Amino acid sequence: MPKLAPLTKLILTAAVSVWALCIPTVSGMFMLTGAQILLLLLYRPSGKQIKAVGGLLIFAGLLTGIQYVFGSSLVFSAMSGLKMFAMSQVFVFLLATTRLQDLTAALVSQCRIPYEYAFMFTSALRFVPDFLEESKAVREAQACRGYVFRGNPLKRLMDYVAIVEPLVLRAISRSETMAMSLELRGFGRRGRRQFTSDVAISGCDYVAMLFMLGLTIALAALRMSA
Amino acid sequence: MPEILLDMKNIMFAYNNGGQALSGVDFSIATGEFAAIVGRNGSGKTTLTRMAMSLIKPASGAIIFQGQDTANLTPADMARSIGYVFQNPDRQIFRDTVAKEVAYGPEQLGFSPEEINQSVAWALRVTGLTELAGSFPRLLSRGQKQKVAIASAIAMRPQMLILDEPTSGQDPWDALTLMELLTGLNQQGITILLVTHDMELIAKYVARVTVLDKGSKVFDGKPSELFDGNHDINAWGLLPPTAVALARQLSGISAENAEELIKQVALAINRGKEDYA
Repeated sequence: MPKLAPLTKLILTAAVSVWALCIPTVSGMFMLTGAQILLLLLYRPSGKQIKAVGGLLIFAGLLTGIQYVFGSSLVFSAMSGLKMFAMSQVFVFLLATTRLQDLTAALVSQCRIPYEYAFMFTSALRFVPDFLEESKAVREAQACRGYVFRGNPLKRLMDYVAIVEPLVLRAISRSETMAMSLELRGFGRRGRRQFTSDVAISGCDYVAMLFMLGLTIALAALRMSA
Repeated sequence: MPEILLDMKNIMFAYNNGGQALSGVDFSIATGEFAAIVGRNGSGKTTLTRMAMSLIKPASGAIIFQGQDTANLTPADMARSIGYVFQNPDRQIFRDTVAKEVAYGPEQLGFSPEEINQSVAWALRVTGLTELAGSFPRLLSRGQKQKVAIASAIAMRPQMLILDEPTSGQDPWDALTLMELLTGLNQQGITILLVTHDMELIAKYVARVTVLDKGSKVFDGKPSELFDGNHDINAWGLLPPTAVALARQLSGISAENAEELIKQVALAINRGKEDYA
């Protein structure tokens, strides 16, 4: 599988969202989502990433079901579920195949986004797996003290404080430590930054970008003519 | 002969990435023992204790607690029998006073209000936290928070306490106080199992030590046997306690006068430092 630059994947992320909005038929949406899954498989995803896609599929199915139950047509419901899946799954692809430091470098050096904002974006993305891991650790700690997630919804909500409070406080503490650690390493410094990440665009990237541009124009034209 | 409290037989476990964490480990601990599991990072010691608590299940093998197979038990079920104290107490503290924090476990286990009050008062007294009962736990020192975690565990009246690296990040005085506390709890009949890297504590407080290396048990015996020089403990990622290392360096020294003796000792110590480094 040719290695695509982070910028190309960022453009793909935006392009897939546009395509999902432009494609008017269920069969077209199935083709788009199928192509997305195929693309992810070509990059040999880990078990966690496959699980994430599986989770999105279940969520898309639920969304479709709920829309249908509340009176929408089957086609409209399926389109909603498929659009949601396509737009979310492309983020899984982006995060599964791109290192966050490469993403930051691409956002700053190629998209010209201020470093602070780019860093904030990628840090927020990194925070998700960290938060999930911490959540697991807190659950285990409370399970060892007899915490069981059962009972009526109100009781569950009340009991959940035992998980949420340490989790939030730990998250705040971690963000403070991270902020200090960044400042101590010159985060707020003005002037030019040097990135060691190789985010250069190659021939494959140009081909991929041309393909994305062509498809976007074609779909937009199709949408306007419909 | 004390009865076996926890018996782990032929435990196998592999991580999702295929890495073998434990390969056929047998481990047991008798009622009233004060034991420790040691080994380098990644040797499987925390994995083994997490299994004892049913936080993870073995790929194969059996875990028997007081004659009962724990295969179908949850951590919350095990909490009635085993108190587990994690390395980082911040992950469990969430209530606004120490006393309420300690009461959480007994409440979850369905103790009566009277039992809860008695258990909390006892746990606070034993851990020396009675005066801090009304304090906000998050503002306590690391050592005090660790004591809150221990009080929270023993308030559930477990027969056994497992502590994962309880002295890490603590100053020597706090570590010493903590070990004295654990010795006191052991004398009151609570079985103690430590997971630690600290050989000084092992040598001073623990009656039995089990060494894991690359997912296998390589030693099980008294600390004095572990450090007697007949085992290549460096190969297992362990270093002997300072006193043992010093004694080895000083062995065989002979001198005709005091001045010569001092020189020889200084040389031996320096040689030891280089070996240590």
